[in-house]
Amino acid sequence: MTISPFGDSAVLINFEQIIDAKINARVIALSNTIMSAMIEGVTFCIPAYCSITVGFNPGQIKYSDLVKKINACHLNDTDHIAKAIPRKINIPVCYDEKFAIDRAYVMHQTGLSWKEIIDLHTSIEYRVYMLGFIAGFAYMGTLPSPLQCSRKDTPRMDIPAGTVGIAGLQTGIYPTRAHAGWQLIGRTPIPVFDSKAKDPFLFRAGDMVRFYEIDREKYEATTKEVESGKFDMKNFVKRG
Amino acid sequence: MHKTTLEFLKAGLQTRIQDMGRPNHRAQGVSIGGALDQSSATTANRITGNDPGSPVLEITILGPGIQFTGDACLIAITGADMSPTLDGKQVEMYKPIRVAPNSILAFGRLKSGCRGYIAVRGNWQVRRWLDSASATFQDLPEITPDSFIAKGGLIDILHSGKFTEDMDLRPERPIFSEHQIIRVLPGPEIEMFSQKALDTFFALTHTITPASNRWGYRLSSHIPMQNPGQEIISSGVFPGTIQITHSGAPIILMADAQTTGGYPRIAVVMSADMDKLAQAKPGDALSFRLVEQREAI
Repeated sequence: MTISPFGDSAVLINFEQIIDAKINARVIALSNTIMSAMIEGVTFCIPAYCSITVGFNPGQIKYSDLVKKINACHLNDTDHIAKAIPRKINIPVCYDEKFAIDRAYVMHQTGLSWKEIIDLHTSIEYRVYMLGFIAGFAYMGTLPSPLQCSRKDTPRMDIPAGTVGIAGLQTGIYPTRAHAGWQLIGRTPIPVFDSKAKDPFLFRAGDMVRFYEIDREKYEATTKEVESGKFDMKNFVKRG
Repeated sequence: MHKTTLEFLKAGLQTRIQDMGRPNHRAQGVSIGGALDQSSATTANRITGNDPGSPVLEITILGPGIQFTGDACLIAITGADMSPTLDGKQVEMYKPIRVAPNSILAFGRLKSGCRGYIAVRGNWQVRRWLDSASATFQDLPEITPDSFIAKGGLIDILHSGKFTEDMDLRPERPIFSEHQIIRVLPGPEIEMFSQKALDTFFALTHTITPASNRWGYRLSSHIPMQNPGQEIISSGVFPGTIQITHSGAPIILMADAQTTGGYPRIAVVMSADMDKLAQAKPGDALSFRLVEQREAI
């Protein structure tokens, strides 16, 4: 782990620069420890795959003192790693042609049938490595390598909320209407972002996510539940 | 309790409500947002007697037309000079302006800067999200519907009706140049660039392209990469981070930028220079001066 200045009001904590669940677990543990330490002068904390960006107000804390505090947090975060039991979240996805806008492209690029693609996408648990891009967007990995696809050269405009995409070895769900650069393979009817909720974001870094296939009928039924307020997210999230 | 209503006869180019944004949700991917030129925004609030972080109108290049109805109120205008007038008469910036009922505030030619700020004394009756009235990015006006100003839009402001008009901050008024020298610190990936690339970056006068906005400023220059297209594993970014994209074009991220990015970060703008950068407009020129890290911290 290295700590270095990032401008005059942030520090960059870099771990080994690879995408790896164990390293990401250390990132999340240290980031949570820093946030819960409530260090005076710390303005924000952005945990990513294998780095943390910590903002500070130089008027309130000196760079060298912040580095000392971060190192102290680092000594205490081993407990966090040991105790961290991830939440498990199940996400229903309708892979129907209506929602799988890039179905043909993905079949062509992977050389797989649509059924094989769905089976692979739903075959494993994904880790939420980080949130970024837009509010509530969770970067999940690692996608089975046969599903690897490139990004689009030009993003699609105004993709509806809930659209599921893949790119490289990552998968994710667009939480709100957005410009999407990933290949789009389905849509979930459940809200991963709710601006009116007290906590608007379904995902947190460190969550484990599993997708399962639903048909159009189930998609429409769940959409109705969401719209009428009968939908209960608790049925989809298992606390760690 | 007194009430003043602002009615927008004209929206202006990009008129938005901004305050100090949402600094506490970066880990969830929420951009900080907020007034781009924070010192001008807080100065406008101070002149009216509001808390410095209260909502203001951020007006860009082309100002709105506003009719004030209800009770008389106190306003202040700071930042870019867009030739403000009240009922056709020129008004002073950086000092309190008493606005009588039914007066019309209008703007004319942009004389300097890019973003102006209008504070109105009192409590703004607008919907907030995550403790901020700032207009959200991502083309999602439904989250903060009051903060995207359109023609015919209304804002109600409640106030006591009492105000003093002696807070004259004209001596604090900054001068905005069309060629700014911005001080920067080395970015985390500065070593990914050759000496030639760095020499180019620091010697050039960069022009701000029209594809620049509150998300980021795209510059017209081309910085040659040793390994074109090289990316880093997505890592944190914040306003002032300068990235070099695949095409070699620098982008300075601004307040509405995303929280993480994968382009090499060549440099970071010193926080003290962010407000003057906010006053640079498309077509203006920028030069970067590298400051040694030890001088800055």
